[in-house]
Amino acid sequence: MSDPGSVSGGAGLEASAAAGVDQASHLDDSSQKQRKPRSLWSDAWGELRTKPTFIISLVIIAVIVLIAVWPTLFTSVDPRHANLDKSLAAPSGDAWFGYDLQGYDVYARAMHGARASLLVGLFATLLTVLIGSIIGIIAGYAKTWIDSLLSRFSDIFAGVPFVLGAIVILTTLNAPTENPGQVRIITQVVLSIAVLSWPVAMRIMRSATLVAKQQDYVRAARGLGASPLRIVFRHLLPNTVAPVLVYATIALGAFIGAEATLAFLGIGLRPPVVSWGVMISESRDYFQSAPHMLLFPAGFVTVTVLAFVMLGDAVRDALDPKSR
Amino acid sequence: MSRSLVAWVALPVALAMTLSACGGGGGGSTTEGKEDADGTVSIYGTEPKSTLFPANTTEAGGGKITDALFTRLVGYKAEDGATYNLAAESIDSSDAKVYKIKLKPGQKFHDGTDVDAQSFVDAWNFAAYAPNAQQAGSFMSPIEGYKDVHPADENAKPAKDKMSGLKVVSPTELEVTLSAPNSVFPIMLGYQPFAPLPKAFFADQKAFEAKPIGNGPMKFASRTPNALIKLERFDDYKLEDKVHFKTLDVKIYSSQETAYQDLVAGKLDFMEALPPSAKVGEKYKADLGDQVLNANLLGQSAIALPYYIPAFKDNVKLRQAVSMAINREQITKTVLAGSYVPSDGWVSPGIKGYRKGICGEYCTYNPEKAKQLFKESGFTGKLTIQSNQDGGRKEPLEAACNSIKQALGVECEFVGATNFGAFRQIVDGKQLTGMSRSDWSADYPSIENFLNPLYRTGGSSNDSNYSSPIVDQLLEKADGTANQDEAIKLYQQAEDQIAKDMPSIPTWNEKGIGARSKNLLAAKLTFTRDAELAAFRVKAKS
Repeated sequence: MSDPGSVSGGAGLEASAAAGVDQASHLDDSSQKQRKPRSLWSDAWGELRTKPTFIISLVIIAVIVLIAVWPTLFTSVDPRHANLDKSLAAPSGDAWFGYDLQGYDVYARAMHGARASLLVGLFATLLTVLIGSIIGIIAGYAKTWIDSLLSRFSDIFAGVPFVLGAIVILTTLNAPTENPGQVRIITQVVLSIAVLSWPVAMRIMRSATLVAKQQDYVRAARGLGASPLRIVFRHLLPNTVAPVLVYATIALGAFIGAEATLAFLGIGLRPPVVSWGVMISESRDYFQSAPHMLLFPAGFVTVTVLAFVMLGDAVRDALDPKSR
Repeated sequence: MSRSLVAWVALPVALAMTLSACGGGGGGSTTEGKEDADGTVSIYGTEPKSTLFPANTTEAGGGKITDALFTRLVGYKAEDGATYNLAAESIDSSDAKVYKIKLKPGQKFHDGTDVDAQSFVDAWNFAAYAPNAQQAGSFMSPIEGYKDVHPADENAKPAKDKMSGLKVVSPTELEVTLSAPNSVFPIMLGYQPFAPLPKAFFADQKAFEAKPIGNGPMKFASRTPNALIKLERFDDYKLEDKVHFKTLDVKIYSSQETAYQDLVAGKLDFMEALPPSAKVGEKYKADLGDQVLNANLLGQSAIALPYYIPAFKDNVKLRQAVSMAINREQITKTVLAGSYVPSDGWVSPGIKGYRKGICGEYCTYNPEKAKQLFKESGFTGKLTIQSNQDGGRKEPLEAACNSIKQALGVECEFVGATNFGAFRQIVDGKQLTGMSRSDWSADYPSIENFLNPLYRTGGSSNDSNYSSPIVDQLLEKADGTANQDEAIKLYQQAEDQIAKDMPSIPTWNEKGIGARSKNLLAAKLTFTRDAELAAFRVKAKS
């Protein structure tokens, strides 16, 4: 969990990305004549539909997204309402997950905490993929010196260990005497995750682009005088986006874990924001006397991360016909 | 201490008197075993906020270090804070105005120079001189000539740099003249700003900052910022409070919880307070058994409402409303796990001059009345309570905020600074944006010490920036009263006025619970919640 980069298996994904693009581009012309030609995506969908891991992870994610979007559907209790009489009370019929030290309802907080956790994961992934893809496709398509410049530049960021980098960024942005607001701290956490993780997406995109660039249809397009922009958007992007999407799915889970890590260290999201990471951070001192305070939010993080990783794995397998 | 809560509140005076006979021998805990006279003791510490000058250290992190490095004229007994002579041979006065102080001969600083009367006078003048901006400089204010070196107007240049009340009679004798009779002065002499400073300090302050030279039982060895401060026994030290071990490691922790884990594992030898998690369900008793240390504390926890915030200024109704909205009873029982008792005044129970229920109904939980007062106060917006969030400070204040929120129906939020140093920076810089934690631990056991530094205009820890001519006058009058009983009456009148204005809201008083590790044979917790260094006995490793 400490390093979302390593969770995604950067190098392995890079290699399979190249292979995938290679395969994908051959798929159309080398497909069997007796069957109706299928695109990479419909082929993958056909594969995925029957996979139990895909279905299960999709259901879990759907439920969690629903919780995040509409927490009041699941609980009518105010997550910030403290009832000290019930401080540290164990799970019961009234409160399924028990109460924490301040007398907050752990179940209500877990439901309301999903949004912040998911938002961080979502925006961090979006930003990581955007930055990574743009730089990756430029590096892969452009002439050599731009490529090496961008690649070395990304190496700088890839070389910084994630937790260390995040601590440095977040503590530098927030002096210990300051108390950043809710929006500001979420933005900062998202940005620091993205800044430290984009090289992975960039490498995947770059290697996919390098392979796709050599394909005949790209050469043909170039020969016909197509502009670089047209080549990139019409021909390269549709064939290189798949491996990055796989990475994004897995990374989303990892980033939710990263949010919890940073909150636990006290530099990520912090109260009054309710997130799973904040809940874990608040409960660590009371584990022995009230384990339910820690176990429930930690369980949510684990299940969510697992669901996204499973989904990513399933999608990767489906998009890589070679592995079948 | 297994006294019930009721007994604790109802019998403070009796408690103070019988404390030495209760709870593991009055703050101490001992085990039988062979002693190692050259052992190492590691104690829990926090990063000092400012330079390690005795007069510039007003917080616990640095105070722990300067306390060991510098010996003052008098010391305090760990149990009840009674004073005894340390560097002083005798302190005499016939009128509580002129004090003749005689030093014990043959005392040395760590660099080998003599501790003489001049070193005390120089240090006190340095502390008082306004341009030196020493945090605890105001402790010199009873001395005659203080106003010349420390004008009331912060920007004015002082007329002199020496106080006229200090006179060196001979190398071992000095005479201190106060501006008014003050019966508490001999007790004050044990406080850190009254430590002597060697010539080396005045020669090169930068070098002194890096390697302080004192006259205490321990000398400075090395320091790794945010990690460790190492002190070593000063072998030429001859006074009563000399130590019985060689090395003192002050380990800097950012979390009490981690330190507690280390203590239980035997990697840390002493903690003067335990984290809330250890107190939940009295877990520490199971973890530590007879290694638990108890002490009577002279502390007062409060929430300050700074006068420089427009919404708080002169809004007594708001102050009362907030105070009545805090369910002290419940918070001390749950979040604080019974390690605190609700407070009902501005002076800690257990010291002379404390009266029960000074705060009265305004410190009693009453949500209906609180709501009504709050409405009348006309306050709108959000309330915040600021504090450092480490060291178990966050939980009770978050609970207080929730209590306020539910009673008054106003938004209340706990705002945490990462550590105590950062928090004190905000407070000292008068940059608070809302209410703030304002806990006070007495330097010496006197009602005076609960009022002067906190509520006098310009006091060293006047966090709420309170300024009342009536209180100032009463305090000044009390300070100048030689008769102790009469002085206490005047201090009580000042407290009554403070109760009317409510510059800060009393919250709770702590019961001192510390612990030692298995590596020690004996340790003692003092009334100021410090380690009594002289009481440490290290177990020999066999």
